[in-house]
Parts: sequence; C-alpha cells; structure tokens
Amino acid sequence: MAAVAARRWLRFRCKVCLTLTGQRAGPCGQAPNCRDFISCRFYSGSATVPKVERANVTGIEEVVIPRKKTWDKVAVLQALASTVNRDTTAAPYAFQDDPYLIPTSSLESRSFLLAKKSGENAAKYIINSHPKYFQKDIAEPHIPCLMPEYFEPQIEDISEAALRERIKLKKVKASVDMFDQLLQAGTTVSLETSNSLLDLLCYYGDKEPSTDNHFQQSEKSEELEEAAEENNEKPKKANHQFGNLWRPENNAERIFALMPEKNSHSYCTMIRGMVKHRALVQALNLYTELLNNKLHADVYTFNALIEATALSAHEKPEDKWNNILELLKQMAAQKVKPNLQTFNTILKCLRRFHAFGKVPALQTFREMKAIGIEPSLATYHYLIQLFYHHENHSKGSSLIIYDIMNELTGRKFSPRDPDDDMFFQSAMRVCSFLRDLELAYQVHGLLNTGDNWKFIGPDHRRNFYYSKFFSLLCLMEQIDVTLKWYKDLIPSVFFPRSQTLIDLLQALDVANRLEVIPQIWKDSKEYGHTFRSDLKEEILMLMARDQHPPELQVAFANCAADIKSTYESQDGRQAAPEWPANSLNSIAVLFLRAGRTQEAWKMLGLFKKHNKIPGNKLLNEFMDSAKASSSPAQAIEIVKLAGTFSLPICEDLARRVMADFAISQEQKEALGNLTSLTTDSDSDSDTSEGK
Amino acid sequence: MVWAARNALLIPVVAGTKNNVQRNFGTNSVNYSKKDEQSAPTHGISKETESQESVKENTKKDLLDIIKGMKIELSTVNVQTTKPSSRRQRKSVEATIGSLQKTLEDAPKKRTKSVSPELEAAASAVADFLRFDKQTTKSELLRQLQQHEEVSKTQKDGERTKISVSNIISDMKVAKSATGRVSTRPVHQIQFDEGTDSLMGQKTDDLKKSLRKNMLKGKRLNIFYLKTVTEEAPKTETAPSLWDVEFAKQLAMVNEQPLQNGFAEMIQWTKEGKLWEFPIDNEAGFDDDGSEFHEHVFLDKHLKDFPKQGPIRHFMELVTCGLSKNPYLSVKQKIEHIEWFRNYFNEKQDILKESGIRLN
Repeated sequence: MAAVAARRWLRFRCKVCLTLTGQRAGPCGQAPNCRDFISCRFYSGSATVPKVERANVTGIEEVVIPRKKTWDKVAVLQALASTVNRDTTAAPYAFQDDPYLIPTSSLESRSFLLAKKSGENAAKYIINSHPKYFQKDIAEPHIPCLMPEYFEPQIEDISEAALRERIKLKKVKASVDMFDQLLQAGTTVSLETSNSLLDLLCYYGDKEPSTDNHFQQSEKSEELEEAAEENNEKPKKANHQFGNLWRPENNAERIFALMPEKNSHSYCTMIRGMVKHRALVQALNLYTELLNNKLHADVYTFNALIEATALSAHEKPEDKWNNILELLKQMAAQKVKPNLQTFNTILKCLRRFHAFGKVPALQTFREMKAIGIEPSLATYHYLIQLFYHHENHSKGSSLIIYDIMNELTGRKFSPRDPDDDMFFQSAMRVCSFLRDLELAYQVHGLLNTGDNWKFIGPDHRRNFYYSKFFSLLCLMEQIDVTLKWYKDLIPSVFFPRSQTLIDLLQALDVANRLEVIPQIWKDSKEYGHTFRSDLKEEILMLMARDQHPPELQVAFANCAADIKSTYESQDGRQAAPEWPANSLNSIAVLFLRAGRTQEAWKMLGLFKKHNKIPGNKLLNEFMDSAKASSSPAQAIEIVKLAGTFSLPICEDLARRVMADFAISQEQKEALGNLTSLTTDSDSDSDTSEGK
Repeated sequence: MVWAARNALLIPVVAGTKNNVQRNFGTNSVNYSKKDEQSAPTHGISKETESQESVKENTKKDLLDIIKGMKIELSTVNVQTTKPSSRRQRKSVEATIGSLQKTLEDAPKKRTKSVSPELEAAASAVADFLRFDKQTTKSELLRQLQQHEEVSKTQKDGERTKISVSNIISDMKVAKSATGRVSTRPVHQIQFDEGTDSLMGQKTDDLKKSLRKNMLKGKRLNIFYLKTVTEEAPKTETAPSLWDVEFAKQLAMVNEQPLQNGFAEMIQWTKEGKLWEFPIDNEAGFDDDGSEFHEHVFLDKHLKDFPKQGPIRHFMELVTCGLSKNPYLSVKQKIEHIEWFRNYFNEKQDILKESGIRLN
C-alpha cells in the first residue's frame, strides 16, 4: 500500500523532474537517478508515511507552474491616481495651464474648455483632411491614434463590398448611390447589407451625419471636456428634433420598398428610424404591417413604439396610457423581454401626463422592480420630475424623494441610460425646494459614494447642483459649517454665481459674522463678479448698516474704496451703469466711520456729479464728523450741500451748526442765507404739494 | 429571514450562553438588531419567534398593564447582563405603529431541537408567571406560535413577582426590534427604551415620515412575470447594429468627467496608446498571445515525436536550446520551427534509413 502510493508519487515527481531539469541535463540518464534518489528517501520513511504520501500526492498533482501575474496596464496608474485628492485651493485639474489662462469664473472656464476642444478639433480636421502630409511615423512603438484616419472610400468599383465600405464610413449619400448603381446593374444586394444600409439611413434620417458630429464620435473615447461636448450637442439635438424630420418618400422608404425580401430587422429599423425622426403615425402603421407579415418586433422597436404612442398628438392621457399598456401586453404575449429602456421610456413619457402620470408611473416602477430589472438613476430622475413638477405646489408636496433616497443610499452606479446624469441635479433641486438640509446631505453623500460623482453631468449641471446645495447650506446650516463648505467647494468644484454669493452674505448677516465680508468681496472679484451691482450693493449695505469696532471699520473702508474703484473704472466701459444712490451713501458712511474724512468729502462731491441725493443719515454723520474735528467750515459746507439738493433736513442741520459750533459772524450770515434759501424752496415744495 | 433574525425575541431562552445585543439607530426608525449566539445552532429562528403583528387588542392591554406596573428604570434598561447559567431574563420594549408590546422573559428553559413542543412549554411557563389571566395568556401565546411563519415576533413574559422590579430589570436584557418587514410593505415599529417613560410613542415628523407607506412598493402593472423575463432566451449572435453602437457611445458619454489629476490623464493616454504601459519592462509591444515564460523556455515537450536518442535527438535538443534563448520569436513561431524540422526529417526518411538512423 505504501509502496503503491509512493510509486505513484514518484512517477509524478519524475515527470516534474523531467520537465524542470530536462533542459539542462537531458532526460536520458537523469530520470533513473532521480527515481533512485527519491525512492531512497521514501523508503526510509516511517510507517505513517503512506498517509502523508497520499496527501502529498494530491497536493503535488495540483502543482502547476504558477501563471505569470498579469497586471492591467493601468493598474499602477489607478493605484497612484487613487492617492490624489482634490486640492481645495486650486482650480480643477482640467483647468491647470499657464497661470494667465487658468479660468477664474464659470464663464471663463467654459471658454477655456471650448478653446481647448476646438483646438483639438481643428488639428484633427487638418490631419484627417490632408492625410498625405501626416504620414511620417515617428513614434516607436507605433501609436495608431496619432495617425490620420481615412474617411474616403478605398474601393472604387461597383460592388457590394464597396457599398458595405461606404456604409461603414457613414457616407449616406454615397451608399444610396452605390445601392442604386448596383440595382441598375442587376446585382441583388444581400439582405444583411441592405439592412445595414437601412440602419444607416434610419439612424441619421437620410441625412449626412454632420462632420462636427463625426469628430465628436472619434473624440468620445478621449473625451476631456463635457462643456465642449455640450456645446456641440445642443445644435445637433435641436437638429434632430426639429430640422431633421422624417420626409415621406425618402431614401429609406424607397429602399425599404425596393428590397425583395425583408426580415423583422428591416421593419424594426424602419420603425425606430421613423420614431426617432418623429414620423409617429407611419411608425405605428408600419408596426401593423409587420404584424400582418407574421414577423416579430424586438424590444428596441417596442420601446420606440411606446415613445411614439406617448408622443402622438390629439389623444387624452388616459387613452395614451391604455395604448402603452396594450403594447406591453403584446410584448408579454410575444415573449419579448422588456429591458431598462422600456421602462425608462414609459416613465419619461409619463412625465408629459403630469398629474395623471403619477399612479401609472409608480405601477410601472414597481413592475420593473418586480421582474428584476434594476432601475437606473434616470428612472429615479423621471419619477422625481413627475412628482415634483410644479414647484409651487400649495398643498403638501410628495415625499417620494425620501423613499428614493432611502433606497439609493450607499449604492454605486454604472451608466445604463443616457439620462443617468440628470438624477443628482433633479434630486438637489427637490432638496432645495423642500428646504431639507438633511436630505441634501443624503444626496450629496450618495454623490460621493464610489464613482457616483461622475454622474453629476456636464458643467452646467454641476454648477446647478452645487449652487442649489450651497444656497441650501447658507439658508439652513450654521455659519461655521457653511464657511467650511465654502472653502471646500469654491473654487475647486465650482465657481459661484453672484446669487450664490448674495445668499452667503445673507447667511453671514443672520449669523452676525460680517467681518468676513471683505474676504467675500475679494473672492467675488476673483470669480468675475466685479461688475455685479446687486452684489456690490448688498455688500455695501451690510457693511454700512451698523457701527462696528474701529479695526473692522478700517477693513470695511478699504473694501468700500475697492468697490468704489470698480465703479470708477467702469466709467471707461461702454454703457457705464449709474452709481446707485445707496452705494454712494454706504461708501461715504464707511469712509467717515473709518476716519477717512477727506475721501468721504470727495464722495459728497460725487453726489452732485451724478445728481444723486444723499440720505439724511449720511448728512447727520457728516455733521458728527465735522463736530468731532470741530470744523465749522465743513459743517457749513454740509448745510450748503443739503441746500443745493433742497433737502428738508437742511434746516435741522443749520440749527445744529448754530448750536454746536462756534462760528464767526460771516459764517453765520452765510448760514442764514442758506437756510432762508432752503426755507423758500421748502415752502415752494410745500405749496406744490399743497396744490 | 433576516428580519426575522433581527427581530427575534426568543421565547425559549436557552440557558448558559451569552446574548449580544446590538443596536443601530437609523434616522427614521430605530433599528435594533440582536445577535443571538445560541440561535445559530438551533437554526430556525423564525420558528422560535412569535408573531407580533397580529396580537390581539387585549393582549396589548395586558402588556400595557404589565409595563405600567413595572416602572422601568431607564438607567438600567440598557444594561446588558449575563445571567448565571440557570436563568436569563430579557425584556423587550417595543412600540409598533399603533400598538405597543412588551415582553419580559424570565424562565429557565432547556434548549431542545424540537421547537414546537418547546414553544408550547415555554408559553405555558410564561403564562404561569403571569399573575393574571393565565388561561388567556397561554392561549394567546399558542395562537401566535402557530402564526410564527408570517410575522416577526413577540415576546412575552410576565414578571414572576412584583417584588423588586428593579432587580429584575437589572437582570434583563433589553432588545429593541426595528422595522419588521412583512410581505412587501415595511411596518415601521418604533422602539423606545431610554428617554421615554411612557412607552406610548410620541409622534414626530420623522416618525410620520417613516410611518408613511413606501411609495416605491405596492401594486404593479402585472403584465410581465419574473419567470418569463429572467429565463434565458437563445442568444443569436449578431453583429451590433449602428443603433447599438451609437447607444453604447451615448452611454459612455454619460459619466465622462474632466480629469481629476495627472495620473488620470496618464491613464487616458495609456488607453489611447500614447504612453508606455506600466509596468515598464522589455515586453512592451510584444504581443505573444499571453504565453508565458516557461512556454518559451521549456520546449522539450515538443520533441516527443523525435527519437529518444541518436544524432537527430541530439540535433533537436540543440535546436530547442537555441530557441529557448531566443527572445524575438513567439511561442507559436518556435513550435513552427520545431515542426519544420519534424517535416524535414520525415521527408528525408529514405536517406536516414540508408545511413542507418532510425527516425521513429
């Protein structure tokens, strides 16, 4: 027993020896030695050996030469990338460039991205349109993506292969021409090729895909900037929806009619194309035809049909819903499995039904859960949109968002629907609408789970999301926490809009932390809000409203001087906006309180220049300051100024001057003149009012 | 089962093991999960659990009375105690939506595998300890035992005596059960222990929120059925159409974001093929169908068809030796090389025979 086991073991060991040592020593003489050696060792073993051996046998038989460990080519980089956190003090990495070029406002960031993208596009365009000048391959190893791509068909003769090539290159017109030539030559085109030609025609609605579009496709893999993307996409989308409608008797329909045999794919792609290009009635008719031909539609076609049903005009929501249900029943009957898109399409369409859509939407949602289709972010987005459509709902708003968030918290997502990147924006919108900070934190937590942050969408959606979030923080959160968020988010995540900053100012006001204001002003200048007068007025108003300790007043005065200079530099600009009276008042007051009397007096001059009226409070403060410096001349100057504006306060001021200042006879007379003047004008105005 | 386990308040308490009580506080509802080490061996927690949902009104009343009579000392309520092996007392305080139930367990019981008889015994034991209404209590308990499949649990016990309630309590374990999920719809139960003298729930906004029916659960369309949807359809292999390709591109765009750091950019460049791939070694750009070192070096196994000895063998060994050191050929090429010699010698068989060399 022991011997048998040992021998078996041996045989194997020898085999291993052979393979391992054979290279050097050659198998012939070596094997017996090997065997001898091992057997010696074994037979010297004790009685317990067999048992051990048996274990060894199985153990050794499993020995395979360990496989070379292959790492993913980006594994090292991924590990390194995961160690880098966001730098809260800097602009996002994508914007890091020559310091002069680093954008500091959302507008600049947008043009930065666009410029970068369009540079790439231009380069690519040149390379691809003149490939013969870019043949030199300097890279070793060869880098294919740096070489020009060929977009011109290479096959010249008239054949099906040439047609296929043109279809592959997405040359719509050339493909149609080739098809016609083939037909004229009497060649029948295979069903498969005709179908892919139909695909091409239906997808692009019998229009050449725009070159812009073409570039976009080649860029998608190396997408850097969403903003640029967005920009390209909008006109394209609009094009699809409005410009690129399905024309009756277009090439797709013609070729479809010419095809000698059609399978369900031909019908399906036609229906999808019709729905995509908004030929809804034709699509539904073609579906009937497909059924009459005893063919079956696939799930994508049903999705398109659902869309067509929901979009069709002149029907009541109830009828549309019943039609959709009818289609679903047909799917079930034909054993067509619904997919995520089926349900997302339904929910998307139900949004149009408003209040009516709520119950069907919930049922649809439950249905998809029940049959094990995991909803994507877009699904929840549609639900949110449906239930929070009217923001100013007077009666109790829906609480479905809580259910959704309870369900989603802690989950990680992968892209499954083109609308997946809408969810966070709409969820945050609801948080802001419900004024629920807790919920907003929950949404934000979800955003920061795993790689979910990638679903925040393009630039404008990210800005929307963070603006809402931050405004909610300003409204509900303690000021210290808000400021922490402010430091964290701005500017490394988004650039604030002026409204965001005003919200923050109001939060500072509520929390009585006005000393931060000069810093906020510095930031707002940096983020491109230098000329936002609503923001500036808010800042000045808050600073000037109350008295503050002297050092703070000095800081405020500096800030005010800075704001003042922005108004002045504005004069050079076209259509310089007026100095608002409030700002003039506030700046003057701030100067006065900080003891910068001279500048304050200059401000008074500005009132005259811009024909604005100083406030009573301001004039009184000026009087106080004149008194403090015991300068009767100044005091009289103030009264004069009030006189020129014919202010009712003039008399009070004159009285104060008489009482508080030691003034010379001459001055007294001057004062007398002034007051008489003003009393005249006062009585004038009184009488005019009397009339 | 999970909820059952969580909510399990076991009537037959098995003596001599430790119970761990864990508590989780959620925002909306208090979640109380309890790990019962001894419940693992007696698998079948649900069997040991008693139904809670369907407790009759009078039972609730009874319980309320008990609770009121007990004067729970809040400070001691959470104390986790391990009893000397013979007995264990446990109290659970829980308030359900409209109801409130409390169970106090105080019974030395033996662990047995057969659950039902034990439960019965336990129930009557419990009833014995209840000072009032023995019969009712017992039958109540038994009825609920029969329903144990469908509902979460209840645990019921009466204190043996009124004397020194606080003594008892200090020996008790408090278990709080969280939301019990029944059928598709969660029933939110709110438990109170510390901080509430009255066990009647106080309703807050949060509470209302949590009591609200989950809108994502409920009636559905009932058009599709799980079975038909999940069953595998015979997949016909077709090339992806233009629609599929474009849809995939759209999807890829959904979560594209500006790069976060320099490494992310390098990843992108690597994917585009503009960078050397990490780890950087001498195999860059060397595509060898994933063959490995030993396949390159140990080529003897390809010599099986050659004679075991003699000049041809010798020659071929030299060939393989040379090949094993050649870094420029792929494994396939090396094998082809050997293959070529095999054919060559086969073709020259005549000559070989003449010179007395045996090929096979």
